[in-house]
Amino acid sequence: MIEANIKGILVCPAQDSLFVRVVGRGTFQNSRPLRSYLQEALNQGIVRFVIDLGACQGMDSTFLGVLAGLGLRLRQMKGGGVQIVNAAPRNLDLLQTLGLDRLLEVSSTAAPAGPGQPMPPANAFQLLSESDVEALTRPLDRDETADLMLEAHENLQKADGRNAQKFQDLTQMLRAGVQRRQEKAKGQP
Amino acid sequence: MKDFRIEREARGAIQFVRLSGSLDMYSFPRLETQLNALFQQAQYRIILDCADLDYIGSAGLGALIGFAKQAREHQGDVKLLRVPERILKIIELLGFTKVLQVFPDEAAALAAFGSS
Repeated sequence: MIEANIKGILVCPAQDSLFVRVVGRGTFQNSRPLRSYLQEALNQGIVRFVIDLGACQGMDSTFLGVLAGLGLRLRQMKGGGVQIVNAAPRNLDLLQTLGLDRLLEVSSTAAPAGPGQPMPPANAFQLLSESDVEALTRPLDRDETADLMLEAHENLQKADGRNAQKFQDLTQMLRAGVQRRQEKAKGQP
Repeated sequence: MKDFRIEREARGAIQFVRLSGSLDMYSFPRLETQLNALFQQAQYRIILDCADLDYIGSAGLGALIGFAKQAREHQGDVKLLRVPERILKIIELLGFTKVLQVFPDEAAALAAFGSS
């Protein structure tokens, strides 16, 4: 059972579907646990993902890049899909600006479209560990965060080529950091 | 969540831009427009006062790096002033302080321009 004031990423697997509710902000600070959980779900054969943005106060580009990565992976697998439901105008605008509405099925209505499990009740969701950015139990790791951000922004560029220019300064900076790290590692005995 | 606000003030050759609220992907284009307008007026010495900023997203940080680099090509810079601790931690975590200079007070930020 989830308390009413909880913030973070809530998940509820149900048969071949995974339901995700974003409560508060989706940012690079809670993208890592989501990415890991989505990856695990894919490995377990889940191919239908429903992301509910009804209580989402905003998403940053890293978080959106993680969602794009899921969409790209499913497109590659030629099965399943990602439905974004309850997208308020502001979030809808973000998804459209980044061209993700062409990769993900985006809707401003509450119910997921098509056949499959309906949206489970709120009390069926569990908070994903380390997804409440106000209550992280371990500090973010610099290299892990940089790698995740780079991967997410590369996903955004793959999803829509127009994103390359939007994020070029960020990706250049992150790539340079990765390169420095690799060179440093090579130099070590 | 506070609305994003921008206030601009010219102090000699330096432009102070006060930011408040959330600088996210939704609000960033407004700052982008302001900074582009300053660049078009050949104003490349900019101090962003972040004291009342409560959030900055990854894309916003990335874009600020781009603006700082652009300003430096014209012997200017985009410097950050009074960055709240939680945002500063993010900037430091990502190693962005290599490019974005952050100052705790106005005098230090102004002095950095004076010596550049």
